[in-house]
Amino acid sequence: MRRMITFEFRKIFTRRIPVLGMGILLLFNLLFLSSVWRSMYATDGREAEATGMQAITLDKRIAEKYEGVLTDKKVKQMLEDFRPTTDLHGMNAAYLYQNSTQSAAYARFSDIDGNWNGLTVRDVYGDEKIQIGYVYGWLSVSQELVRIFFMLMLLEILMVAPVFSGEYGGADSLILTTRYGKTRGTAAKVAAAFLAAFLLTLFFVVFDLTAAFAVFGSEGLDCSIRFAPSEFTEYYIPFNLTCGQLLGYQILLIFTCTFAVTGMTLFVSAACRSQIAALAVSLAVFAAPMICNISEGDPLYRMIVLTPVYQVQFISLMSVDQMKNGLLYAVWALPEAFVLAAVGGGCSRKIFAGHQVS
Amino acid sequence: MELQICNLTKQYGKKTAVDQMNLTLTSGIYGLLGENGAGKTTLMRLLCGIQKPSSGRILLNGKDACSMGEGYRRLLGYLPQQFGCYGDFSALDFLLYLAALKGVAKKHAEKQAEELLELVGLADKRKSKIRTFSGGMKQRLGIAQALLGNPRILILDEPTAGLDPRERIRFRSLIGACSRDRIILLSTHIISDVECLAEKLILMKAGKVLQFGKMEEITAGMDGMIWECIVPSERAEEYASGYRFGSVRNAGNDRTVVRVFSKRMPSVGAVQVKPDLEDLYLYYFGGGDRT
Repeated sequence: MRRMITFEFRKIFTRRIPVLGMGILLLFNLLFLSSVWRSMYATDGREAEATGMQAITLDKRIAEKYEGVLTDKKVKQMLEDFRPTTDLHGMNAAYLYQNSTQSAAYARFSDIDGNWNGLTVRDVYGDEKIQIGYVYGWLSVSQELVRIFFMLMLLEILMVAPVFSGEYGGADSLILTTRYGKTRGTAAKVAAAFLAAFLLTLFFVVFDLTAAFAVFGSEGLDCSIRFAPSEFTEYYIPFNLTCGQLLGYQILLIFTCTFAVTGMTLFVSAACRSQIAALAVSLAVFAAPMICNISEGDPLYRMIVLTPVYQVQFISLMSVDQMKNGLLYAVWALPEAFVLAAVGGGCSRKIFAGHQVS
Repeated sequence: MELQICNLTKQYGKKTAVDQMNLTLTSGIYGLLGENGAGKTTLMRLLCGIQKPSSGRILLNGKDACSMGEGYRRLLGYLPQQFGCYGDFSALDFLLYLAALKGVAKKHAEKQAEELLELVGLADKRKSKIRTFSGGMKQRLGIAQALLGNPRILILDEPTAGLDPRERIRFRSLIGACSRDRIILLSTHIISDVECLAEKLILMKAGKVLQFGKMEEITAGMDGMIWECIVPSERAEEYASGYRFGSVRNAGNDRTVVRVFSKRMPSVGAVQVKPDLEDLYLYYFGGGDRT
């Protein structure tokens, strides 16, 4: 069995287009990550101003000053420290950006002129203890990971779509007449597809997190995502998660998505007689939920956000209510991935082994 | 070993590719002959289990082959008319992959793959990517994979298509040498391959078996009806067209030998000859009336 898996693995990784795709994704990955720290900007509103890596250091230094649990005293101090020194020419101070700490504070506690809007920490966050610190770096990484992982899923579809459909070009008649062609042979294909997809995802997760650690360190991982500049979509997650928890969920969802997408693609691969058709149908199945315009109040919404394409985008899924045990609804992606992987893998084997060679 | 085909039928919609076929095959080489669309490939696919019969059964030593699963497939070696290879695999890797699927133990697989590559004349290309192979080389690789695992039932669909004469001779020797205790079913349009190799013939037409038996037995029915006469080359075609079928070959000096089917002496000087497989083929598949 191990020999068969090795050969199937080689087939997957010797096809030119997926290999080319991996190279392109790696290149994009580097570009995306470098754009994260190259686009960094921070100023203390007085004399210090920096971009790139220096901006990260400056931003961290500013955040360090207010580290700990968010209090009304700290809010007032921030509003005072970052008070605009120039005329805003009518611009709403809530949208002013000097650094991530200032932006987070002004987005919630400032009026149009940069004065306190009268809201207390309790008014905004209720009884939750909001741990604050430098979250900008990890939230930026999280945002970039959505783009990278979305492309990774497309690459995995490209990689898995020919697993069965590629054999219909004539190799099926050889495979299916061998002793294990209909049994262990098909199992090896399924196992190799899951293993290849898992390893590819693991590679990009490890690569990106290592790069992010190298740039941002562990600062902010224990801080709440609720006190972040409003430009982050994570702002819409109504739970007091730390950056570390957010990344944990994101990584979990990318792996569940990997297994779900691989299962779905294997099924399509076995059902389609041409590689192009298998690829097109797999992509369509993956992307289809994105065109469903369903409001959050709709009962179908909870099902739609559990589909793989929303797992990779993860914010909508993370925004669905928390369950009674304290876990987020997003953990349902785990059994869903298991079911899709098992059904996709099992059915694809059955379809391929039972098909009549023409 | 006995492979029984019982009332085997395969229909594609309204078309019947194999029609109520009954055959019993024991060890030996069987030549399967028939015109295009006669149902030869379908019969072979049914025997390999990659197509399901519409009705009827295939029995191996009395057991239903379909229900034997791996037990039946481990005895099979199949070379399809057209097959797909993996362009990025080397010839050796391709054989090792199929050896793994055939359940050949790793230590034997490498040895056997090397031997087979040697036998089909691809030893020096063992590490070359299949993408770089010509049609004939791919065909030889196909023959090698069919022989992997010493199959007891060998089904070869057009095995010599695309092979040059030297390779065809090599193939004949190879199949001739491994025919003992095996059922080998060989379908080809190259009559000389069948003549050289097959002990028994299966003639198929429109999904049915027209004739089944030893070559001499089948051709014996045509004894006394094949004539050869030498005519001027410019008259050869006209002469041959006067008979149910005729074949011509150049005899040199503007003269042509015309071989015709006739119950009576066709002309003065015509010589009666022993019927061969080509005559048999033309008799059954050359068109015209057979009464």
